[in-house]
Amino acid sequence: MGRRAASSAWFLVPAALVAPAPAGATQYLKVEDAQKLAFPQADAFTPFAYAPTAEQRAAIDRAAHAHATAGDPVIWRVSAAGEPLGWFIVDNVIGKVERITYALALGRGGAVRSIEILEYRETHGYEVRNAAWRRQFEGKSARTPLELGDDIRNISGATLSCRHLTDGVRRLLALQDLVLK
Amino acid sequence: MKKTLIAALAASTFAAAAHAADPAELERRVDQLSSEIAALKAELARMKAEKAVPAPAAAAPAAIDIARATGEAPKLYEEAEKTTFFGYGELNYYRPTHDTSQTTADAARVVLGFEHRWNDRTRLVTELEWEHAVTSSEDQGESEVEQAYVEYQLNQNLSTKTGLFLIPMGLLNEHHEPTQYYGVARNFVETAIIPTTWREGGLLLHGNLDSGLSWDAGLSTGFDLSKWDATSTEGRESPLGSIHQELQLAKAKDLSALGAINYRGIPGLLVGASLFSGKAGQGTPDFPAPDARVTLWDVHGRWTPGSWDLAALYSRGHISDTAALNVTLVGNPTLVPEDFFGWYVQGAYKLWSRDETSATPFLRYERYNTGSKYATLPAGLTPDALPTEGVWTAGLNFYLNPSVVFKMDYQKFRQDTTRDRFDLGVGYQF
Repeated sequence: MGRRAASSAWFLVPAALVAPAPAGATQYLKVEDAQKLAFPQADAFTPFAYAPTAEQRAAIDRAAHAHATAGDPVIWRVSAAGEPLGWFIVDNVIGKVERITYALALGRGGAVRSIEILEYRETHGYEVRNAAWRRQFEGKSARTPLELGDDIRNISGATLSCRHLTDGVRRLLALQDLVLK
Repeated sequence: MKKTLIAALAASTFAAAAHAADPAELERRVDQLSSEIAALKAELARMKAEKAVPAPAAAAPAAIDIARATGEAPKLYEEAEKTTFFGYGELNYYRPTHDTSQTTADAARVVLGFEHRWNDRTRLVTELEWEHAVTSSEDQGESEVEQAYVEYQLNQNLSTKTGLFLIPMGLLNEHHEPTQYYGVARNFVETAIIPTTWREGGLLLHGNLDSGLSWDAGLSTGFDLSKWDATSTEGRESPLGSIHQELQLAKAKDLSALGAINYRGIPGLLVGASLFSGKAGQGTPDFPAPDARVTLWDVHGRWTPGSWDLAALYSRGHISDTAALNVTLVGNPTLVPEDFFGWYVQGAYKLWSRDETSATPFLRYERYNTGSKYATLPAGLTPDALPTEGVWTAGLNFYLNPSVVFKMDYQKFRQDTTRDRFDLGVGYQF
């Protein structure tokens, strides 16, 4: 490429920047893909009709000392060849001002198998997608402490997202313990 | 309508019958009329029955019901436009221990902001700030547009900011809410050396990798050295704070380049570095330092294992080609420094917590010098370097909840001990 051609190639950079991005720029993982990732051996994800009573909702809030901030979760019972494997839950929490959609996979005993960020929309704090940070939740259950700072290390610059995701997981663990057991 | 239809049909049939002269024909037509009326009655009954049974609801079921019924994903994101408000504030009390007549109480900052999202990848971020409560020609307060930029998400790992944005440097500049730092006032290094809250107008490209590495690269407005006021001590308090432009009719002939890199791949760890550089003469006519260049860089780290929060930062600034300018300023109290720097180390420990409430004492030591070297001037006119100040700060952040913090601290200065002081403050964020 000649000097003239090389220098004129720079004009392509702005064009590349405004080129259409793939659909769903903030969607990192689809639910069905997250299900396969969390339970590769499963052959059935059966929707669970989660409709808590006011008493159940209050008991969950009390146990988790956290309120639902972005609606109720959607829950599936997971099984393979008729044998239950655990639960797959899609939930939303508010990061700073936007929803973070995440999927929590729980084993039969109610311990966390994995957590995946499905959608992230905030300007800051996307580091919660980092695999090493998410791995800190593995093995946690309603019977283990789960506090940001003490049990889950914070990410500097992503404090609100870290805190609200930790609150959300603690709430789902209480839900599993009180309603799904 | 149905009754009108029946009446019209009957009338037309009778009219036709009246014109028929043959009795047999008349009888045939009466029979026809009877059968037509019977058919109409049946039709009417059928229509009435349909009306009595409501049609199935036409409204689309909620996303969650779809998920329950089909096992498919709920609707995970909203397409609609959305505007969200946020804000923070800090109200402080400063009491110098050696001269209590200088004690002040101040609504240091009240900030209101909003984000407007047009669609899944385009949004506006605006932050409006009032400092020191009242802004008028007779008061010391300021009202400022602190941020106003359009963010566009190019793909999942790359975004742009266009407009007035915060410079990605240090630990505080982009995360400067009172709940984010220890002590009533922001640390000296990130106010005197890095002029937090430092923003410029321009274009910033931000990328992040799944490994935990993120980077920024951009082109923006920079400093205006022709603003330097040698008669004031402002340049001695913060060299760059005295010549920043904040996009207030900013001189923009000379643009600056900036870049930053940060790593957060290990939970609890942040290490990073940043660089900002640009000419500051801005083409000002007859300005004696047309080629002066401002360069500022920093390295920083933060480690938060368990209840500990440990941080360290080093920053250094340089302004080139200042000799010709300083020659014209000799005799004034504040000449333009060639070098300035600062660093701090800080440790905090969450000593007590119950539910959302927690108490975190901290200790910080910082050293900084806003004029560690001046350009050499002829005839012994070169100013002496300023002494390096050292400050110990010991205090407590008491979080009523993560969004509301009460603070107290004591600051001990090693050089200028008249500045020793006791501080109280309350801060919030929503």
